[in-house]
Amino acid sequence: MRELFNFIQKNVHWLLFLLLVFLSVLLIVKNNQYQRSKYLSVAHEITGRIHAVSSGIQSYMNLNTENADLLKKISDLENEVYFYKRTIELLNNTTQTESIEIDSSSALVYNFIPARVVYNNISGTENYIQLNKGSEDGIKPDMGVMAPNGIVGVIMNVSPHYSIAISVLNPKFQLNCKLKDKNYFGPLVWDGKDFQYTYLENLPSHAEFEIGDTIVTSGYSAFFPEGLPVGTIVDSRKQKNDNYNSALVQLFADFSTLTEVMIIENSYKEEQNNLLRNIRK
Amino acid sequence: MGNTWLKLILLFVLLFFLQVWLFNKIHLFGYATPLLYIYLILKLPVDMNRNVVVVIAALTGLLIDVFSYTLGMHMLATVVAGFMRYYLLKIFTPRDMFESVLPSFSSFGYSLFLRYAGFVVLIHHILLFSIESLSLFDPVNLILRIVGSFILTMFLIFAFESINLGSFKK
Repeated sequence: MRELFNFIQKNVHWLLFLLLVFLSVLLIVKNNQYQRSKYLSVAHEITGRIHAVSSGIQSYMNLNTENADLLKKISDLENEVYFYKRTIELLNNTTQTESIEIDSSSALVYNFIPARVVYNNISGTENYIQLNKGSEDGIKPDMGVMAPNGIVGVIMNVSPHYSIAISVLNPKFQLNCKLKDKNYFGPLVWDGKDFQYTYLENLPSHAEFEIGDTIVTSGYSAFFPEGLPVGTIVDSRKQKNDNYNSALVQLFADFSTLTEVMIIENSYKEEQNNLLRNIRK
Repeated sequence: MGNTWLKLILLFVLLFFLQVWLFNKIHLFGYATPLLYIYLILKLPVDMNRNVVVVIAALTGLLIDVFSYTLGMHMLATVVAGFMRYYLLKIFTPRDMFESVLPSFSSFGYSLFLRYAGFVVLIHHILLFSIESLSLFDPVNLILRIVGSFILTMFLIFAFESINLGSFKK
């Protein structure tokens, strides 16, 4: 007994070391579950407040480019609104016997909630983004996040005032995207290297695409509506399997200066998810 | 003794904010990210209990993890580096030295301190980037990241030590 006690006393540094190594390995292995866990949302509330200080300073420095992007977005939207107004006018002028009833709840399937980035990493292999809107603003996990010019990520975890999104720049994040106007689709996968580029994988070899083609979201998942801009094709390469090609995609969203984003709320998500769950049963 | 603790706590706060607000966002040539927070482990007093060193290393790593959303990664690398520090100090500490002193250019001399720092930083960086590459294995990228970040971190440690040396001479 005394020998055992002596042994422990002599080797307490080894035991402590092994215990701490075990704890950190456990954290690494269970990382994905922890990223979604409720305990972490307490930590995120604190990290959010601290990161908010530095992002406040940073957003002043990016104000010029941000403004230019927003103005462009506004002018695009103005054009779109004008186009729709014209269409409605034309429709009104043509002979119409009865008015079309549009149910207001079905017309707005997707809600856009503005948010500000408080922390964004592009130097790691697995990157996450923290935003200044949380459960008190109606944010829930699995909502899509987009910058004015392109998609950015998906919400993973929320605390009362902040939320964490998994970035497009994270190999664990795979989103189904497609070629605009062509309907060939495949998963968008990041290779962990350059924050400006990502790959659209598993395009069938007979799928024709050209450099400069636009990639948009496919709408096959409940995260994003169909047709949101993602990026443009800048190069293509053969995959190891001859039947598929992959395209190098330059992302529209500039991750190095990300400040203003929109969180996308899908009011039919519950319904879509329940449907999927029923099938899997 | 109280003075030393105060110094270490100030150093910790400084390194922590520099790391999460500035260094984590640096991505030089697409590879190199400085990880200067390991400097805190280097600067702990030579005679500090090795168990205390390992616990401080674990807490530092965990805190950096929570603020960069990478659970366990920094913690594991820093714990191992903190544990190995004891053995590296045995090799690199000059023989005729007061034990309670903080490792630095002035107490160790340039060559010994840089060799001691180099080994600790190297262990830390190799482990950290290897764990990171578990999710996406690419050997060339891994080696470039280790070497690039090692050079950057060592350069910053050299800069910090030089500033320290200057303030001591006044």
